[in-house]
Amino acid sequence: MTTVVTTAPTRQTTLRRVIGSPLTARILFPFAVLAVWYLIYYTIDSRIFPTPQQVAVFMWEEVTLTSGVRYSSVAENLYVQFAISLVRLTIGFFVAMIVGTVVGLAMGLSKAVDAFFHDWVMAILAMPALVWALFLGLAFGFGHEAPILAVILSGIPFVIINVREGVRNTPKELFDMARAFEVPQNKITRHVLLPSLMPFFFAAIRYAYAIGWKGLVIAEVFGSDRGMGWTIKFWYDAHRAHGVIGYALFFIIFALALEKLVFDPLANKAFKWRPKIDAVEMAEGDFGAVRSEAFLLAESQEVGEGVPMTSMEGESRNG
Amino acid sequence: MEEVGGRQPTHLLNRLSQQEDPVATTLEQTAPAARSAEEERLIALKKRETRQKWFWRIAGYVVVLGVWEFLSGRMLSENLLPGPTRILQTFPELIESGRFFSSFAATLTRIGVGFGLAFLFGAILGIFTQNRWIDGFFKDATTISLVSPGLIWALTGLVIWGFEPTGWIFAIFMTTFALVTVNIAEGIRALPKDLIDMSKAFGVSNWRRQREIVLPSLAPFIFTGLRFGFSIGWKVTVLTEVFSSNEGIGFEMRVSSQLFRMDEFFTWVLSFFVFALILEKLVLQRYENKFFRWRAEVV
Repeated sequence: MTTVVTTAPTRQTTLRRVIGSPLTARILFPFAVLAVWYLIYYTIDSRIFPTPQQVAVFMWEEVTLTSGVRYSSVAENLYVQFAISLVRLTIGFFVAMIVGTVVGLAMGLSKAVDAFFHDWVMAILAMPALVWALFLGLAFGFGHEAPILAVILSGIPFVIINVREGVRNTPKELFDMARAFEVPQNKITRHVLLPSLMPFFFAAIRYAYAIGWKGLVIAEVFGSDRGMGWTIKFWYDAHRAHGVIGYALFFIIFALALEKLVFDPLANKAFKWRPKIDAVEMAEGDFGAVRSEAFLLAESQEVGEGVPMTSMEGESRNG
Repeated sequence: MEEVGGRQPTHLLNRLSQQEDPVATTLEQTAPAARSAEEERLIALKKRETRQKWFWRIAGYVVVLGVWEFLSGRMLSENLLPGPTRILQTFPELIESGRFFSSFAATLTRIGVGFGLAFLFGAILGIFTQNRWIDGFFKDATTISLVSPGLIWALTGLVIWGFEPTGWIFAIFMTTFALVTVNIAEGIRALPKDLIDMSKAFGVSNWRRQREIVLPSLAPFIFTGLRFGFSIGWKVTVLTEVFSSNEGIGFEMRVSSQLFRMDEFFTWVLSFFVFALILEKLVLQRYENKFFRWRAEVV
């Protein structure tokens, strides 16, 4: 009797704990999505809306290359399209990183350069990728140039802003101390400037890659005849909903894998010695960035005002 | 002991000088002149700095617009890249044609409905993510919404629902709600617990507590969510209009680029920026100032 009384509640509480745990909720989420999917399937008046099985079969056929679909262009399957997009993204990303770092460093170090470029960087930041896609597609035709340039133009403002913030955030007192102890310049660069720049640099890499990818697929829709963006548009134009949803799922899987397997570990490494920067704030700057920019500008002006005051004190003391 | 002893006289002196003895004022008369000289130098320095800043800023505009004007018609065809002067000429034509305001109205309606729903849902979700179970349930949804391109939601929504409003509402909703959720959740985590506890201890009514503690400390996060969500939603809205609309800015951009009227295309881009600037400077910042007036007192 007593054993039954004691075991029953514990079993119940463990069950309750399992059901109530966040992990269970997380696992339940895909099933809820499936339920909503079926709900839409049975209520919507559409002849092309697919069941999850149809989409799963489509995705499996694409992955195993057994679908028999031959795209009209040279590139024929998921892997080739994906590789083309990734190569474009990587080239554009590296160009954006190099140019953006140079401009960002210059903007962080010199107020004149900052004033010169600031408004234009903000303008590029606020530009919808659609504008780049339409214009570059017309200007360069259906080659590699338009998508690569779209990646550069979408990613570069994030690199510039992050690198500039990094330079501004270098601890001034450490510099002063290094100078007071006559540490050589290359050592200052390696041990003071670079480590304090690192987190911002990683943020720049992360968002240049992620935003570049978003810009790339839109450019491929309007200004290319191959690549992942082009492929999802192919299925849209063919009015095959299972193709569109299947490729949308490929996109999501890719983005999640990139986030979890590449950027999260990288970020953890880069931010280990520092409190985390608000990821969303850095990621989705746009109009918001204009304001925080303005705020940072005001802040830097205060710092700037502080400098002449001390130097003047020194002057008056000398005099 | 010494420190206290050292401090008190200066304190007293300050108080004495505040009472403005006739002797003290005559003594101080030389001091303000000296200070003002230094201040003047500082002001002059500051002025020079702002002048320099504006010089470089204007130089930036002149150089970029100059290069653009030079490129158009020389390096690139004028039909492909019309210069800034020609875009400024087309701008009034566009306003006269009447399409300008109707397009903006159409786009604004879309973004208002789509982002309005996303904001509502995102805010409620942000509040409920205090519960760990709900947080776990929606965790992947938020991540997916943050990292996936707006294009896939636009195409998925449109291929399923066609030109029905559900299609574009779905697209705007899926790209923006997570931004609001993340910001509101962050704001709730940053609520001043000690102030709330204190007001509870002193028997402040629930309504007053919400209005005077919770809302003001949440406001910056709400505004951040609003801003980011709006700017992202704006881009997606334009994209959905390309695929599923016969009016709006995105549609006009698409049509003008298809007809190779690039001057019109760039004019639409320009008007987009003008609108964004107006919205930012006149609407959002004004409301924000109103909300954050209490902050100025602290500073």
